[in-house]
Amino acid sequence: MSNPVIEAPPTAPAVTWQEGEVLARRAAARNKRKRLALLVAGWVVLLLIWQVAAYYLPFGTLPNPLEVGAEMWEIIASGALVSDFMASVLKTFAGFGVAVLVGAPVGYLMGRHNYWKAFFHDGVTVAGTIPALTYAVLSLIIFGLSNLGPVLAVALVSTPYVAINVAEGIRGVDQQLVKMSQAFGRSQQQIRREVYLPTIVPYMFAAVRMSFAVAWKVEALTEVFGGTNGVGFQIRNEYQLFNITGVIAWMALFIVFMLIIERLVLRKLEAKVLAWRPEERVRT
Amino acid sequence: MTATLTPRRSTEELASSRPAWQKRITSDRAARFTFYVAAFALWLVLAGLFERIPGPPSVVDRLVEEFRRGEVFGNFADTFYRFGIGVALSIVVGILVGVLVGLSPMARAFLESPVMVALSIPAIMWAFLTVMWFGFGHTSPIVTTFLTAVPFMIVNVAQGVLGVSRDLRDMSSSYGVPLRRRVSDLVLPAVMGYVMAGIRFVVIMGWNGVLLAEWFGGSGGAGYRARYWYDANQFAGFAAWVVLFVGVIIILDQLIFERLSRRAFRWRDAAH
Repeated sequence: MSNPVIEAPPTAPAVTWQEGEVLARRAAARNKRKRLALLVAGWVVLLLIWQVAAYYLPFGTLPNPLEVGAEMWEIIASGALVSDFMASVLKTFAGFGVAVLVGAPVGYLMGRHNYWKAFFHDGVTVAGTIPALTYAVLSLIIFGLSNLGPVLAVALVSTPYVAINVAEGIRGVDQQLVKMSQAFGRSQQQIRREVYLPTIVPYMFAAVRMSFAVAWKVEALTEVFGGTNGVGFQIRNEYQLFNITGVIAWMALFIVFMLIIERLVLRKLEAKVLAWRPEERVRT
Repeated sequence: MTATLTPRRSTEELASSRPAWQKRITSDRAARFTFYVAAFALWLVLAGLFERIPGPPSVVDRLVEEFRRGEVFGNFADTFYRFGIGVALSIVVGILVGVLVGLSPMARAFLESPVMVALSIPAIMWAFLTVMWFGFGHTSPIVTTFLTAVPFMIVNVAQGVLGVSRDLRDMSSSYGVPLRRRVSDLVLPAVMGYVMAGIRFVVIMGWNGVLLAEWFGGSGGAGYRARYWYDANQFAGFAAWVVLFVGVIIILDQLIFERLSRRAFRWRDAAH
């Protein structure tokens, strides 16, 4: 690791604080540029490795990035992207809705009563370790070829996350606040609504963000096994035609979409919701 | 005035006033037992409601049948061979890359995007691609296990290395603590928890990966056998294999991992 004292820039020492500020700002800008350059370099090397691998592997096993890019453009231009992604996203969020409806009460009970904590503990931990394949195929067995299969799979996968997070949140509630409310003669219902509920909301949100990646993958997996539309369905179609370019193009779109939702939408929203909590500032 | 208030008692008084049978029913062990009974009852109800869900008797029948035919051990031997190699590879590579990412900001900036992309590629993709690349055989499940699991290890180890206290590191370097002791007394204890969490992720993700790759590859293994029953529309056979999958992962996760992590955290938990 660099030692900041020894490796201080050999510039002339600042005379006034204004000069010092300028120097500091310049150093920060330099660091930022360097990081950005490395970030770009990471992407470039990733694409280069892909390109080289595509060149050396036997023909037809790995298309090069340009071919995949062209295929992606075709998918976007044909409008299949919007309709299939909308279908998948709607199913995912419907599954989240079910997960919150089931998981939040379970988590509430687990957080408040020792009995329910012991009751649900094994179920929740086991549900979190079951392979996604199992959820996907079980949902299909129950619902057959329909849109309900992926919804059920997403719900099954994300319910334990919601329950665990909500339970954690409930246990983290400021007990002094609860005691004070009791001392001032507030009813149980009031305490529940005014103290416990507001603390659960950010935890529920965190659970959705945490489980989004897993849920989105399970949703696609279920569609691969037996969807009638959506991203997974398209990937399966391309696989059955042995069209590797098509599989990778859909996968790339899938990843881009997931990163956009996760990085931009969910994280921004969470930052907004949790802005009042000073300890949530994450070290960079 | 005081008459309107209900008499208040301490929690200890409340606890001792409850009869013994009530205490036994609400104990943790009883709660767990009730959960298993309730889950079993739920299964029975679901099996009664949906005719496509196999009930417990038929699943047990199938399970016994599979054991009798000797399908279980042969297929699991294949699966464990692939799973073991894939998991070992991802742990080793994950620790190496993770330490690099945690120590050097430049490596972090450089590797951030590849790791991020790798994290978001679902196991099914690797299963498809490796089957198309390597055909049927051991390679496809091993590579799938490795590729689905390794990003999680990298991320966890990197976080652990980043979390090593900067102050302690600076202090030990100013006091000239030898590198060996610095690693064994400062870095390892701090990183151990993250490594454990990483291994747990690797096991869970890798298990899913190996099963998926076997499902789509045609070369034996637990996943392949489960697919055989699924394709034959024999859901009881499939459910029997699900019981085995889930049983294996629970044994791996609860028995081995819990014990390992308790061992790894002796230093932390013993102090209290």
